[in-house]
Amino acid sequence: MRNLWLLLQRNAFLLAFIALMSVSLSVLFRNNGAARSSWFQRTGAISSAIEQQRSQWSNYLHLAEQNATLAGENAALRSQLLSMEMDNVWKEDTLRGWTVLSGELVKGPDGKPHTLSLATPGQDVGVQPGMGVLSSGAAFGSVEESGETHSRILTLLHAGATWSCRIGRRGPVASLGWDGVTLDRLQLKDVPRHVDARQGDSIFTSGYDLRFPPDVPMGIIASVERHSGADFIDVSVRPVVDFRAVRHVEFIEHRSDSERVVLAQPSDLP
Amino acid sequence: MMAIRIILMVVLQALFLRDVSPFGIWTRPEWTLWALLLVPPQSGPFYKLLCGFGMGLGLDIALGTYGQHMVAGTMLGGALPTLHRLLAPREGYEVTDRPVLRDMGAGWLLGFLFASALVYHLTLMLVVEWYWHLFAGALLPAITSACFTTAGCMVLHMAVYSPERRKASL
Repeated sequence: MRNLWLLLQRNAFLLAFIALMSVSLSVLFRNNGAARSSWFQRTGAISSAIEQQRSQWSNYLHLAEQNATLAGENAALRSQLLSMEMDNVWKEDTLRGWTVLSGELVKGPDGKPHTLSLATPGQDVGVQPGMGVLSSGAAFGSVEESGETHSRILTLLHAGATWSCRIGRRGPVASLGWDGVTLDRLQLKDVPRHVDARQGDSIFTSGYDLRFPPDVPMGIIASVERHSGADFIDVSVRPVVDFRAVRHVEFIEHRSDSERVVLAQPSDLP
Repeated sequence: MMAIRIILMVVLQALFLRDVSPFGIWTRPEWTLWALLLVPPQSGPFYKLLCGFGMGLGLDIALGTYGQHMVAGTMLGGALPTLHRLLAPREGYEVTDRPVLRDMGAGWLLGFLFASALVYHLTLMLVVEWYWHLFAGALLPAITSACFTTAGCMVLHMAVYSPERRKASL
């Protein structure tokens, strides 16, 4: 404090000069149009430059947040795109027998291993057990039971269910299940060691379980672990569907489903 | 005394000497500088600064040029201590020295008046013209006006503080 006082004392004349000059200039700027406009132009340019710089820094600091938002939007758009592609497939498939019903999820997965979800509608519009359920064009589950106006859905997040899937569109078929631990990780089962599964590969429905048409997106391989001496590899899959955010679902059914089910039963032929 | 002298010169300049400009923009004298430049060199810098500021304020009020003379006066008031120091005789100022002909001599007074008038007129030119592209055209009139102000102040000095009057009084 004493040093500050000494510093002020030492530069008192300069400070007084600056103060009086400031007063004079402020009077000048108030009363001289040319000086005022020039002053505002210059200070405006400086403040604009400072504001621009500040904005750049602010944008830079919020980049991670914006990236996350953009990633979310991208994911939503991608889901819509997949849904639109599936719309085309469904239209084509409808000619061969696939029908689609829209519905709404009433109760979604709660993270417990054996919980069933609840959706509308039910039998009143033709929802039957065994129908596949999609969310934004991706596999969500299948109808386990159907009441008059509601249906119970067996989702991919059920520890007791397995789903026939394919690694890539032309890869080997495997079973997809959930170990009941985390909502964003499914497990591929019985994948032989020789299968070329890599992180980032897509998992699609195979169509073999008669609940979904083939090539419906299910998930993306998150990690692949190969243990020495083991015949099978551990493949962890991140589901395409965000099970905590699903609101609208679609029920799909093959028109000749009963015929397919009957013909798919084991025959008595030797 | 200094304040009275400055106020008197401000009034004189505003009422009578305002239009004494024989060659238009080339000779626009600032008569009030004569009063300001009578500030003794031994005075403190704050006194000189305040005198300059006060003179500018008075001129602005009297002439309606709000801010222009305040800036120029403050600049000259701030520069006066430096000018006095730069122009100081080798042995320094006597306690009784005043910036007049009989104390400091014609050479010193001419140089001091011209340097001060130049500072004032150039600053006034800056704040009046304001834009860079107008400075070139205003520079020469500012210098000639400074010369005219110097000449006018010398005439006033000779009329009010001439060595002959001192001898007569003795």
